[in-house]
Amino acid sequence: MFHKFFYELKEKGLDISLSEWLTLQNALDKGLAGSSLTQFYYLARSILVKSETEFDKFDTAFMEHFKDVEKDTEVGAEMMRWLDKSEEMKALLEKEEKKWLDTPQDDIQIDKEDVETKFKDRLRDQDSEHNGGNFWIGTMGKTAFGNSGNFVGGIRVGGAPGNQSAFEVIGARKYRDFRNDRVLDNRQFQQAFRRLRQYSTRLDIPKTELDLNGTIDKTCNNGGLLEIVMEKPRKNAVKLLLLMDSGGTMIPYSSLMNRLFHAVNKSNHFKDVKCYYFHNCIYSKVYKTPECENGDWVDTEWMFRNLDSDYKVLIVGDAAMAPEELYSETGNYRGPNGGLSGWEWLNQMKKHYKKIVWMNPKMAPRPAPWREAETAIQKLIPMYLLSVDGLNRAMEELMRKK
Amino acid sequence: MENNFTSTSDYVASPELLASVNVAIALEKPLLIKGEPGTGKTMLAQAVANSLGKKLIIWNIKSTTKAQDGLYMYDTIQRLYDGQFGEEGVDDIARYIKLGKLGEAFEQEEQVILLIDEIDKADLEFPNDLLWELDQMEFYIHETKRTVKAKQRPIVIITSNAEKELPDAFLRRCIFHYIDFPDETLMEEIVRTHYPDVEANLLKNAMDVFYQIRSIRDIRKKPSTSELIDWINALQLNGIEPERIRAELPFVGVVVKKDEDLETVKNYVS
Repeated sequence: MFHKFFYELKEKGLDISLSEWLTLQNALDKGLAGSSLTQFYYLARSILVKSETEFDKFDTAFMEHFKDVEKDTEVGAEMMRWLDKSEEMKALLEKEEKKWLDTPQDDIQIDKEDVETKFKDRLRDQDSEHNGGNFWIGTMGKTAFGNSGNFVGGIRVGGAPGNQSAFEVIGARKYRDFRNDRVLDNRQFQQAFRRLRQYSTRLDIPKTELDLNGTIDKTCNNGGLLEIVMEKPRKNAVKLLLLMDSGGTMIPYSSLMNRLFHAVNKSNHFKDVKCYYFHNCIYSKVYKTPECENGDWVDTEWMFRNLDSDYKVLIVGDAAMAPEELYSETGNYRGPNGGLSGWEWLNQMKKHYKKIVWMNPKMAPRPAPWREAETAIQKLIPMYLLSVDGLNRAMEELMRKK
Repeated sequence: MENNFTSTSDYVASPELLASVNVAIALEKPLLIKGEPGTGKTMLAQAVANSLGKKLIIWNIKSTTKAQDGLYMYDTIQRLYDGQFGEEGVDDIARYIKLGKLGEAFEQEEQVILLIDEIDKADLEFPNDLLWELDQMEFYIHETKRTVKAKQRPIVIITSNAEKELPDAFLRRCIFHYIDFPDETLMEEIVRTHYPDVEANLLKNAMDVFYQIRSIRDIRKKPSTSELIDWINALQLNGIEPERIRAELPFVGVVVKKDEDLETVKNYVS
């Protein structure tokens, strides 16, 4: 049933597997949708959609499918069956003999078939929002379709609390804000960070694993009497220093940065993660918070002293700055320079840390000499586009032995 | 349907949530619950257990939890030591097999509710390691060549705070429900199940301020349902006049936890 709906959902970019689809069929066989479209909406959504960010796509497909009912007779018949029994229609029949406040100018007679047909015709023809009219589907009007109107016994579209029908929920599109057409999802980020691994046993953790060779040795020495030797499990020894640009030009990328930051934070396999912020370029101070407020910082030199050269450095920034911000000794217009230009500070970074990469969310796809700062930094520090692929390559670079 | 979950006296669920729970039960699939912190994800399992009159088994997931922990543990070292001194029953491996929470749920005679709490806390691959066990409701103990099979298929409820994305293969097997933040009508009902005789005026004032705080754009951590409930409790216990709530924001620290947010809230609300 509803194969078309399946493909429409797929078309909307929902990744639905056949097994999930069969689950839905199974649920329908068991009568879990009852006989109401609303229940069918929630049932299908809970089985087919697995993230609130995709609810909106589902809603759109659901809405569109309903509009197509007329063209698809098989599904159409099915939908009509639901429509017949939906609470809206029941209410409609009950209220048939009720009087309405004003004489409706559209349909005097309430004929169920007729209202349905007209509704669908109009759904097809209507292409904008209508309020207060007496023909189109809208609000506060006198037609049989829409909501908050005074045509008793029409088809309600959207609005009205209490008796929420599927289309009201969709009409509200309350999941729109959750939607993210994600190029990168968090999981992919985290997968990339998994590449940063270097096993070592020289860590201060409890001995929880059996050292088989050690145990055999000790037991033999002990004249065959068992003596168990435990050892520390092998742990990742990678330490990560994350430096993020929070300058004005980075604002469009804030959600991407956020996700990257979360991915790093949730990757609990690192020995240590430190995160500082900078504004456009790194000078004599790095900030503790993304707001980059004066005073809320540490000396870059303090960072050099305390975070040794084994830290793998990931700088994230768009490297978009005026050349003087990079080359002038007074180039930092927000804070102190420490007598060195940004360029020299970057050289210091490069000298101090063995492994350092730069991720750029808007890196030029091919050499772009007019982006002076970006081109210069690219020569100093390996730079990659901030994408799953770029991140993977950057991680490879960080793990490469010299 | 013999198993039908309804709202209980101390847990108010939206109709959509009720439907999702019942669909999951009918289809015998795990129910995955997501939602803002403090929307009662964990409490849901307790409520389902109470409503259906079934036992609840909770498996709390931590960052170090492995899938194997939920199945069984083979205490080899104890066995080795016991073997040294020829203790009785050493040749019986089964004595050294300890079932985990999942195993425990499978072994129950009656159907139970199994809550896998905060699955996203664990390692990235954790959910994938449980696919077979949750699908087939059985696992194999290699050491004793025994298959542990669920006597009564447990009702599995899984919560996630969306800290990590869950693998697709795992998601495909679940029924998904996202708990929306309750609107004011539902919220009032929720508060009233906790404090049935809360004064209407106090409740209204506190809720107004609460929703206003949530609507502030710059707020870093939005207050949750459970924090509102705590706040109302604090206001009640101290007999705060409803009129003072907005003006003085008494005990606002219960609702707003971050210093920066406290400043923002004070500026906005009063």
